[in-house]
Amino acid sequence: SRMQQEKLLKMSSTLYVGNLSYYTTEEQIYELFSKCGDLKRVVMGLDKFKKTPCGFCFVEYCERLCAENAVRYINGTRLDDRVVRTDWDAGFKEGRQFGRG
Amino acid sequence: KRRKVTESSEEIERRLESLICRVGEKSSSSLESNLEGLATVLEADLPNFKSQILQILVLCSYQLPEKCTIYTTLVGLLNVRNYNCGGEFVEMMLRELKRLISTNQFKFAQFMIQFLSDLVNCNVVTPSSLIALFNSFISITRQDSLQSRKDWYVYAVLASLPWVGSALSEKHSIEVSTIFENIRMYIIHRDKSHREFLRVWSTDDPHPQEEYLDCLFAQVCKLRDDGWIEDVIIRPYRAFPVLANALQHDLPDFVVPPHIAEGSVYPIPQVIFRMFDYTDCPEGPLIPGNHAIERWLIEEQLRSIVRTFNCDKKECASRLLGYPGRDKVPLNHMIVECLMGDIFRLPESPYPLVMYAAVFIELCKLQPSMMPQVLAIASDMIYERLDTMNITCVDRFVNWFSQHLSNFQFRWTWEDWNDCLSCDPASPKAKFVKEVLEKCMRLAYYKRISDSVPPEFAPLLYNEPKISFKYDFKSGLNLSQEERAAYTASQRVITAIKTKCKDDELIIILEEIHQEEASTDGTTFCLPRLEVFLQSLLFLAQKSFSHSFSALYKFHKVLKWAGDGEEGKIAILSITKDVWKNHPQMMLVLVDKMIRMQIVDCASVAKWLFSPKMADDFTRLYVWEIMHSTIRKMNKHVQKLEVELTEMRGKSQISEKKSEDEEDDIMRTYNIFAPNQTDLQRMQDQLDAANGEQKKLFLIIFQRFIMILSDHLVRCESNKTAFNSPWYRNTIQRLQEIFLLHKDTVKKYMATMENLLFTMDLDTRILSVFKQFASVVN
Repeated sequence: SRMQQEKLLKMSSTLYVGNLSYYTTEEQIYELFSKCGDLKRVVMGLDKFKKTPCGFCFVEYCERLCAENAVRYINGTRLDDRVVRTDWDAGFKEGRQFGRG
Repeated sequence: KRRKVTESSEEIERRLESLICRVGEKSSSSLESNLEGLATVLEADLPNFKSQILQILVLCSYQLPEKCTIYTTLVGLLNVRNYNCGGEFVEMMLRELKRLISTNQFKFAQFMIQFLSDLVNCNVVTPSSLIALFNSFISITRQDSLQSRKDWYVYAVLASLPWVGSALSEKHSIEVSTIFENIRMYIIHRDKSHREFLRVWSTDDPHPQEEYLDCLFAQVCKLRDDGWIEDVIIRPYRAFPVLANALQHDLPDFVVPPHIAEGSVYPIPQVIFRMFDYTDCPEGPLIPGNHAIERWLIEEQLRSIVRTFNCDKKECASRLLGYPGRDKVPLNHMIVECLMGDIFRLPESPYPLVMYAAVFIELCKLQPSMMPQVLAIASDMIYERLDTMNITCVDRFVNWFSQHLSNFQFRWTWEDWNDCLSCDPASPKAKFVKEVLEKCMRLAYYKRISDSVPPEFAPLLYNEPKISFKYDFKSGLNLSQEERAAYTASQRVITAIKTKCKDDELIIILEEIHQEEASTDGTTFCLPRLEVFLQSLLFLAQKSFSHSFSALYKFHKVLKWAGDGEEGKIAILSITKDVWKNHPQMMLVLVDKMIRMQIVDCASVAKWLFSPKMADDFTRLYVWEIMHSTIRKMNKHVQKLEVELTEMRGKSQISEKKSEDEEDDIMRTYNIFAPNQTDLQRMQDQLDAANGEQKKLFLIIFQRFIMILSDHLVRCESNKTAFNSPWYRNTIQRLQEIFLLHKDTVKKYMATMENLLFTMDLDTRILSVFKQFASVVN
């Protein structure tokens, strides 16, 4: 439900990161986002059919506070000359890395 | 608009809070009339909402210090209208001050003391009682106590004098002189050995880097000598002659909270960061001199803005640029100096480095014609002064500068830094440029960066971050028998992994590789075997971090078997480095994962970093990224266990207490699950083990430092060469850095270190680092 979803978002340490270049690599995401703290994992968004990066990813931090700092300070800055957008995400589930293609 | 008849008391409270908090913000009418109006509203609500109103004002007094004089004026106006409420307010303030000090909230406490001082100007507080308060603070300096404790009380008095010095001197000039004399006596006798430890630049040329208390004292003395005239503090109370007739209150006697061992944590001393003087901003208004009180007052106000708006980079940047006083001072220079000073503050910045990076980007967006230019000048200056810059600050500069460049298409006039091409490759300038380019590469990719620097900078580019696989032999090459065997073994391992073999099958293949002499400590570790396996595994997983992590997870068991024992762990790290020697970021994330997966432990990482095989990379930034992240992980592990043990104790106590109540069925069933003595003991054992590991880690690190530094000094002595080489300066500062960045943990082991490592027979150049650190934390 919506209430549950909102509750999950408030506790989450996972961010959806969008507006990336298709050429941006996991390495670059790691470098930029670990400036806010230890990362648990990065899941690159992939094209459903071609299985190639398609402009988004999920970044999960070890601590909520680090994710908050990423929303405050990395959101709106540039990576590969593109303005990175972050959104809270309730948590990554297998299968969600596949974009619309 | 008429007030709603049915407004609930919560609504009224909320309305009052919003009214009070907003006063002094931009408004169509004058500040004076807004204050007058607000005082009238509050006076009407005082009979029913006195405690709420006073509480809001108490909070504003320290949480909105940038509006201090606005609120003191408001309190003054309320005091004129309602004398009792003024008295109650003052009492509440002192109770809150005691709470703030007792809970180590010293910055808030300082703002509160400034507020109390300014209340003298609004005729709410008697000058004599404020002097009594100041004297009780200064008397702390005559106690047998920590210097950091004494420092804070003296700082609090000095930081209040710009507000109230004039009013106090008018009627109590003798008492004020005594205060100055007492502070002077304290300041000249203070131990200042921490200054060497905490300064950003080791030289006072071109700008003196002053000890913070010395500097503020000089600024306040100059203010006094100038007749207490400054034009930074706005003083709205001057517009209200009615305040002159107010009745004043004596501050109630204040008992300074005692020092609590293990409880009180005072602010550690600082060194004032200076990078600009009046010659650096020749156009427009002059930057106030080092000892002008305006310099300190404006910096304090800029820092207040950052404190209030640190969560909102856009608002923070626009408030900084909107600071009223642009016509009086070169504001952009002062903002840059202030934020840079915070970035470089030792041991740590007030906020994460990314916050400053984000605010600088916003500042550049808001003033694209001016801000980038000031930042470029600042970067240039810092570059020019790299030779004397503290290594921890150099790292921060590398991190900030590369992130900044990546937001501006990596455009930089590298030609201006051509001098680094001809200097010693080990010198700070050359190393700085190399590290910046490496960091830029991590944020972009190799070609992007190699194309963006002039061709002559090519020698400063590290190799492209590609894998170096040992068994990648081209066919037809002459291989030794040994090499051929290893190559064949690697091929078998690769095929086995590709065909999704089971752990046991892989182990059978690997067991065929063995050493002439069997391992002596009974472990399953054997170097050639581990090398074939790990090289091949990392080779197969080279595509990305995720692939490499999956490979480690999947073959966790085999890896632990092949890299068994302490030697095995160090070998795992060393082989990983052989494979990824050109990819520092890969090393960083792999070591991190290996610690988390308990493939290696923190102590083995430290030993590996100090091993001769790492000597060539020892002064590189990534080595220290790995070192500090390893220490942090260790510290976090201990902290986590401490918290868990405390929670467990809490739970077991609840269950003991409640169990007397036999009727309570729920509690009885709960008690079955409550932690018992065995659980607690197990947890305690875990914590003890972690504490032991932590201590071991620090002892290893310090011992290795002492070894390599002593070796170097002895070698220089016998070769008759200068000891103070770039390597030496780098290494001794890294030693300082371990102390500083992990000071609260290191503090626990001071006695052990003094007895075992930093003993009197040690070279004084090494020993002095330990002694200076002791003076910082005492």
